[in-house]
Amino acid sequence: MSQQPLSSAIQPTDVYGGDEVSAIVLDPGYSYTRAGFAGEEMPKQVIPSFYGHVNGSDLFGDNVMTMEPRAGFEVRNYMNRDGVVEDWDAATKSWEYVLLKRLQPPRPTPINKNGLNVNDDGDVAMDEGANGESVDEFEKPLFDTPLLMTEAPWNSTKAREKSIEIAMENWGTPGFWLGRNPVLSSFAAGKATALVVDVGGALTSVTAVHDGMVLKRSIQKSPAGGAWLSSQIRSMWENSDPKVKVVPRFMVENKKPVEAGAPAEARLKTFDFPITDSYRAYEEERVVKEFKESVVEVWRGPGRFCVPGSEEYVRNQPGRVFEMPDGYNQMWREQRYRVSEGMWDSEAAYAPLSNDEARLTKAQTIPSIIKASLDGVDVDLRPALLGNVVVTGSTSLLNGFNDRLNVELAALFPGVKIRIHAAGLTSERRFGAWIGGSILASLGTFHQMWISKKEYEENGAGIVEKRCK
Amino acid sequence: MTSRDVHDVLNIPSDHSGVGRPSKKQKSSAIRPNLKGLAREVQNLSGDNPIAIVPEVSFFKKRRLASRKPATKWELKPFTNSARGDDGALVLRHWRRKTEDGPPADVDSQPGENEAEGSSVTKVEKPEDSAFAKFNVHVQIPQYTDDQYHSNLQSSTWTKEETDYLLELAKDYDLRWAIIWDRYDFQPKGASGDFTDGSNALVPAGEPRTMEDLKARYYEISAKMMAVQTPVQYMNRSEFELFEMVQKFDPEQEKRRKQFALNTMARNKDEAREEESLLLEVKRIVARTERFNEERRELYNRLDYPATETDINSFKSSAGLQNLLQTLMTSDKAKKQRKQAMGPGDVASPSSAVPTSAVSETHANRRESIAASAVSNHHRADSDARTPATPAEPTPTSATAPAANKKKGAPQPERRKLTQQEEQIYGVSYHDRLGSGPTFRYEKINKLYSHKSGQQQLRITNVLSELGIPPRLVMPTAQVTAQFELLWTAVTSLVDLRKVNDRLDGEIKIEEAKKAERDKVRGVVVSPATPATNGTGDKEEGGAETNGEGGKDQQKTDQDKKRPGSSGGSSHKRSASVLSSVSDKSAKRQKK
Repeated sequence: MSQQPLSSAIQPTDVYGGDEVSAIVLDPGYSYTRAGFAGEEMPKQVIPSFYGHVNGSDLFGDNVMTMEPRAGFEVRNYMNRDGVVEDWDAATKSWEYVLLKRLQPPRPTPINKNGLNVNDDGDVAMDEGANGESVDEFEKPLFDTPLLMTEAPWNSTKAREKSIEIAMENWGTPGFWLGRNPVLSSFAAGKATALVVDVGGALTSVTAVHDGMVLKRSIQKSPAGGAWLSSQIRSMWENSDPKVKVVPRFMVENKKPVEAGAPAEARLKTFDFPITDSYRAYEEERVVKEFKESVVEVWRGPGRFCVPGSEEYVRNQPGRVFEMPDGYNQMWREQRYRVSEGMWDSEAAYAPLSNDEARLTKAQTIPSIIKASLDGVDVDLRPALLGNVVVTGSTSLLNGFNDRLNVELAALFPGVKIRIHAAGLTSERRFGAWIGGSILASLGTFHQMWISKKEYEENGAGIVEKRCK
Repeated sequence: MTSRDVHDVLNIPSDHSGVGRPSKKQKSSAIRPNLKGLAREVQNLSGDNPIAIVPEVSFFKKRRLASRKPATKWELKPFTNSARGDDGALVLRHWRRKTEDGPPADVDSQPGENEAEGSSVTKVEKPEDSAFAKFNVHVQIPQYTDDQYHSNLQSSTWTKEETDYLLELAKDYDLRWAIIWDRYDFQPKGASGDFTDGSNALVPAGEPRTMEDLKARYYEISAKMMAVQTPVQYMNRSEFELFEMVQKFDPEQEKRRKQFALNTMARNKDEAREEESLLLEVKRIVARTERFNEERRELYNRLDYPATETDINSFKSSAGLQNLLQTLMTSDKAKKQRKQAMGPGDVASPSSAVPTSAVSETHANRRESIAASAVSNHHRADSDARTPATPAEPTPTSATAPAANKKKGAPQPERRKLTQQEEQIYGVSYHDRLGSGPTFRYEKINKLYSHKSGQQQLRITNVLSELGIPPRLVMPTAQVTAQFELLWTAVTSLVDLRKVNDRLDGEIKIEEAKKAERDKVRGVVVSPATPATNGTGDKEEGGAETNGEGGKDQQKTDQDKKRPGSSGGSSHKRSASVLSSVSDKSAKRQKK
């Protein structure tokens, strides 16, 4: 029997209590900003939160970020390392870029402004005079789509109020909601109660979520995220026997293949204008990221990597070769475990290169922050939380991360059953919070939660504190 | 018989028979050598008939729209959600199948007409309500007015503002205590009012409330408000159950439970396994003792055979014995059906009662000889007297005894009810259970001693000798032993009390000595004699108190005993006081 295609007469949304109102979900993070329509399974648009700044104007989107260097091209980020918006002007522009330029088709210019009716001066003037107000209302870009935004659970009241202001005043959304990242991540994993371990680009945070609410006393964060791992890799390269120099891809004109460990033979480009530091750092970061994704692994245990024996064991295992953009290549064996070991064992970490890069303290390792987080939660909840550990964030995609986490948790809480829930799909791990937001905003029961325009006008921006708890 | 034969018989010349047949044969023989390998094998299998290979009928995908109707129309319909607090100010739109302007349930209307109508009709009526609005539920939170608060809900640790705040949170978070406790952050209002500049550094940070505090307060309020709204006696069942449950909340117990949970979480796998195995062991032990008790009970039931007053004359002939065997067998059968031992209330059928009791007489005799019953003695004398006359008699009894033993518990025979007086005369007494074999009454007394430590035994015997009672009773009749037991328990409690008293005295003295030391250190000029005399005074008071108590005890036991020849109350008093003063001295010595 061949399966019949779904008839258009059936309403598929009735199955799961969904009621789609074409809401937009916007999930700004330190590395990427994601946006898409609620009810879809992936964000339609993902752009870096980094943006280019050249000659006093800002350029957004991934396409400008990968272009050839230009004179005076600076790379900036509107978010800070805490996952909180720092530069509101840039943030607004960046969000507008992704929501209006990338996500929605360009709107036709209203008839009275498109210049075709110029001849009929009198009529146009009368129209504007008659219902200028309502025309304005419908000119706001998001006048018919509710907007759900995500935020870090430690976001400040001021920042929250600012975001509802932008959504309501600038874009004119009929409904708005601020969802907290861990809550949405746990929704994406299909759980209302969970311990969310979010290993992101800038931060690792652990938050307990109970019945769809963040438990504030359980919020723990630590810099042990992607950026910290990058700095560990840089330290390792600096300390390895032939120093590994990082030459970003844009500087290489051509290269010749060389033996492993031999110095690179490449001709570098020269530019007749200075390359800004921020651009170079961003490009170098891309090389480091590639290394992270293809070489670095987490020691799976049992026990720590630094116990005698395990390092020797790894040295005899096959390693991985990594070739730098300039052709230098080397086999990496035990070092690729060592760089990530600092996440679990603060003593194993490399010393940071510069002083502004923080060393992880013992309390900032992942097992410690999980323990600290659980200590802030009522005893009765702890077993339920440990049975629903949700791992999300793209740095958690490191090979062996979940195995190690399981080992560490089992050692910390010997009497409790521990179950780790980590999405298998790479994209689900990267966009956990967005997917949760997409699920939430397409639920029929959620529509009573939106902060409507009327409520905003009556209560002011403070309503976001009252409603989005 | 083929068509060719028919042709032959009828002499009909077939026109192409001569050609056709050989050619056919040749054809088949011509094909054969061409085939090789598997194909030939297959052909051999089937012989000359070719195998029919029927192609499977293949279905293609059905046409997407079986009905030729045009596609259903959908429209972007506005809707509101009545669960929202803003009176339908938020109008969202979702895609719904287009219907006629009538009821939305009417889905199968003609779409063609609809389209024309839908585009022309402008929506003027109110948008429909969301189907999900009904899922919005709230919890019931107790409400109170100011007066009610002041009359019922005052608390020394909770202000009204804080109580209001707690109830507000409980409502906001639908009684999810984990979240309520997590978000609980009460700032006393007075603080923010007084310090308008926002600095509340001077306000002492209140002690953080534990979850148990919050719960206890909330349940207290809900219990009281329930009682205020409906007095307890008018509550219906469910209300009362809720009321009771709410009233019973014990924060201390809750705290202990959480501590326990914490410990359970911290224990590692080995400990958990050990605990599990221990639990199993306990279960096994309990099961074993149960089984043991069961077996023992069964044994007792078997042993428990009643006495009888009827004589056995009727069974002395062989015909009587036959009769006895018959009745025994029938009763055995009946017993098997009933299995369970009968209680004393059950009356056995009169036909079986007589012989059974007669048979079990020997057992009864044995038992009742233990009880030294005059009645059974009389019977035994009877039977003994008769035994030599009838030598056949012992055989049936011994033969039937095992049969009787097989029965699980014999029914109590009808027994003449003894009056109180008769019981006393005959010395009949009823016991729950007696140990097997003969026992001496004084052993029971010895058993009492054996539970006590040597020192206590010594003290008890001292008291007893003071009272002039030998530790071993000269004439241990049942009454005497019973009275002695009473006396003995009184003496032991006296000894225990005295011990406690001594200890308390010792502690008091130590504390006083400490106090004196402290005073000395402080330099307060206190004459060294004063605290000392105070102490002794106290002590003596205590001693006198005990004396009084001891004396009373003693008197009570005396009254209980009402035994002639026991020494007078005054002498007890004296002896007790002597004892206590001695112990005081010993306490002093200890202190030194």
